[in-house]
Amino acid sequence: MTGWLRLGLRARITFIYALGALLISSTVAFVGFALVQRELLSDAEDTAQAQLFNNARDIRTALQNQTAEAIEEALADQGETDPEEETEAPGLDFNNVLTTRFNRNNARELLIIQDQARSNFGLQERDLPSDVLAIVNDGGAAKRRTVPAGQPRLTVGVYIAQLDASYFEVSSLQPLQDTLSSLRNTLIAVALGAGLAGAALGYYSTRRALQPVVRVARAAQAISSGDFGTRLDPSGDPDLAPLTTSFNDMVGALESRIERDERFASDVSHELRSPLMTLSASIGILENRRDELSPEAVQAVDLLGKDLRRFTGLVEDLLEISRLDGGAVVADADPIILVEFLTFVIKQSRSPELLVVAKDEDRETVIVADKRRLAQVMQNLIDNAAKYGDGATGIGFSTAGDMIRIFVEDHGPGVPTADRERIFDRFTRAGGDAGRREVAKGVGLGLSLVAEHVRLHEGRVWVRDRPDGASGAHFVVELPIGDLSILDEELAT
Amino acid sequence: MRSVGTRILTVEDDDRIRQAVKLALLDEGWEVDEAETGEVALERFHDQAADVVLIDIMLPGMDGFEVCRSIRRQSDVPIIMVTARNDTHDVVAGLEAGADDYLTKPFAPKELSARIRALLRRARNSEGGAMERVTVGELEISPDEGTVTKSGEQLHLTKTEFKLLVELASQPGKVFSREVLLERVWGYDYFGDGRLVDVHVRRLRTKVEADAATPRYVVTARGLGYKLQP
Repeated sequence: MTGWLRLGLRARITFIYALGALLISSTVAFVGFALVQRELLSDAEDTAQAQLFNNARDIRTALQNQTAEAIEEALADQGETDPEEETEAPGLDFNNVLTTRFNRNNARELLIIQDQARSNFGLQERDLPSDVLAIVNDGGAAKRRTVPAGQPRLTVGVYIAQLDASYFEVSSLQPLQDTLSSLRNTLIAVALGAGLAGAALGYYSTRRALQPVVRVARAAQAISSGDFGTRLDPSGDPDLAPLTTSFNDMVGALESRIERDERFASDVSHELRSPLMTLSASIGILENRRDELSPEAVQAVDLLGKDLRRFTGLVEDLLEISRLDGGAVVADADPIILVEFLTFVIKQSRSPELLVVAKDEDRETVIVADKRRLAQVMQNLIDNAAKYGDGATGIGFSTAGDMIRIFVEDHGPGVPTADRERIFDRFTRAGGDAGRREVAKGVGLGLSLVAEHVRLHEGRVWVRDRPDGASGAHFVVELPIGDLSILDEELAT
Repeated sequence: MRSVGTRILTVEDDDRIRQAVKLALLDEGWEVDEAETGEVALERFHDQAADVVLIDIMLPGMDGFEVCRSIRRQSDVPIIMVTARNDTHDVVAGLEAGADDYLTKPFAPKELSARIRALLRRARNSEGGAMERVTVGELEISPDEGTVTKSGEQLHLTKTEFKLLVELASQPGKVFSREVLLERVWGYDYFGDGRLVDVHVRRLRTKVEADAATPRYVVTARGLGYKLQP
């Protein structure tokens, strides 16, 4: 059942159409064949019977005028075959009696008279079905179809009372059989053809029938990739109007809700910007005047300054995320010499003494990516290592086909398997609930922004244990090398 | 390093931000002139030229791009655009309107002062070892005098465009990456915005090239940077 369910709707409908067409056409073919077969056989029997009676009459007429002696003589003559004598004898010739008559069906004949059998085409008593022989010899008439040695034949027989003779005709049914089998083959072919036609019809009609579904799917795809203006054409099939209308209504509602959400996030962030600017300008002035402040005031200013910077960072991250959520963000395409890039990243980080780890043959690697965003990815991974892993202990990259893998590892406790996906969610912190005491260390947007930026580049990010077996987390960012053809284009166009 | 007599004109419609920025700039020892709208800013600038102009893009009435273009028509004063967003569209449009640099809100006052100082350094030029006059094709670049002529005719470059050309001319034929140019011309580290270089190269080309689409002098070097074709 599951296998059946796994077949597509279209395959199922096509299959059912084909099955239906095959069933109908084969039933028609079967019934038709049976009718034709019965008709043809009874025709053949009627014809054979009519001819038998005709011939029997002819034989009776031919032999009635003969004296019993002449017949006896002729019968005796027949036994000893002396051609000369035969030609001289003008008497009765059974061969003539049996063959001079018109024989439509090429039937073989057998005449048994006075216990002597006379036949043409070598038909013998033992070739006849015993029941026909018995019925006729008892003074009746009979017919029977038999298939001795694969040769279908019809045997008819009648008793000629005036002569006390039994007369039989055996005709071959092979031509009829050939006709029927070619008819059967034709009908099978037609039935199969009808099945195929049914399948084709099913396939075609489901394409037509599924077209609205395909259109809905396409629209949904366009919408999920951020094109909220997408709507279905309401002037289509009236049967589908409810679907079209409710789909469009749903998209409309979704669009306005997303717009509202985006506007809210963006409004909030914008509103936060002005006070933040004022605050940071004012703190800046106080910081410049540290010398004139009392030690307590200096402490307060330091505290304020530190939290303000974190607050500003949070607002910037939120703005970035709301922009990414809007779906309108396109990554810049900057050519980046990885070694140079990572060297600068490290120089700016909290672990400026690290060296970029890369194979010699990878040192020239250039990728095309959004430099600013990739720098933020690295910054966040290094910050994360500082917060939860006692600082980054290794930064480097390797190439893998048309992808590059940048890694950042630390010497902390690592990330438990259960948390390895979750830590890339928004506002999640390593250690789960136990991590609440870490609140002061930072906000939980860093890794989710990493994931968003990496996704924007059609790359992946994951975390694993350190490959060298030491304790610590090993973050990997996998990015496509990107479209290097931009290197050949004008930068400033 | 206090630059006595340096005047900064800030154009910003938000009261508190304007005040905060003013405080920060005053703290650096600069004189500050304020305007709430583009129209007022143009009047102020007309009355008394500034050494650096700070323009917020989002202004009621005449927008920041228009203010920038108007000022650029009459002066090569260094201009910093303040954008609310880091979108390519806003940034490139601002740079194309003639801005020398840009900042994204919310910015730290220290960052603003650093940008202004870098621009002032460029404007006061002349520092740095005296460089020989460079002749490339029909271009004649005189770093000391701050002039460029093409076939004897003087070209009007902004300070930033001039500085960019001089950097490229310091070693004709050598490829300068965008990162190196960002550091030498704008004083950014590696992570500065490459779009600054690209847009300025484009602007430079419209002035020095016969056909900016097929540059003869300022040439792109396989995507990684630019060079001055000797």
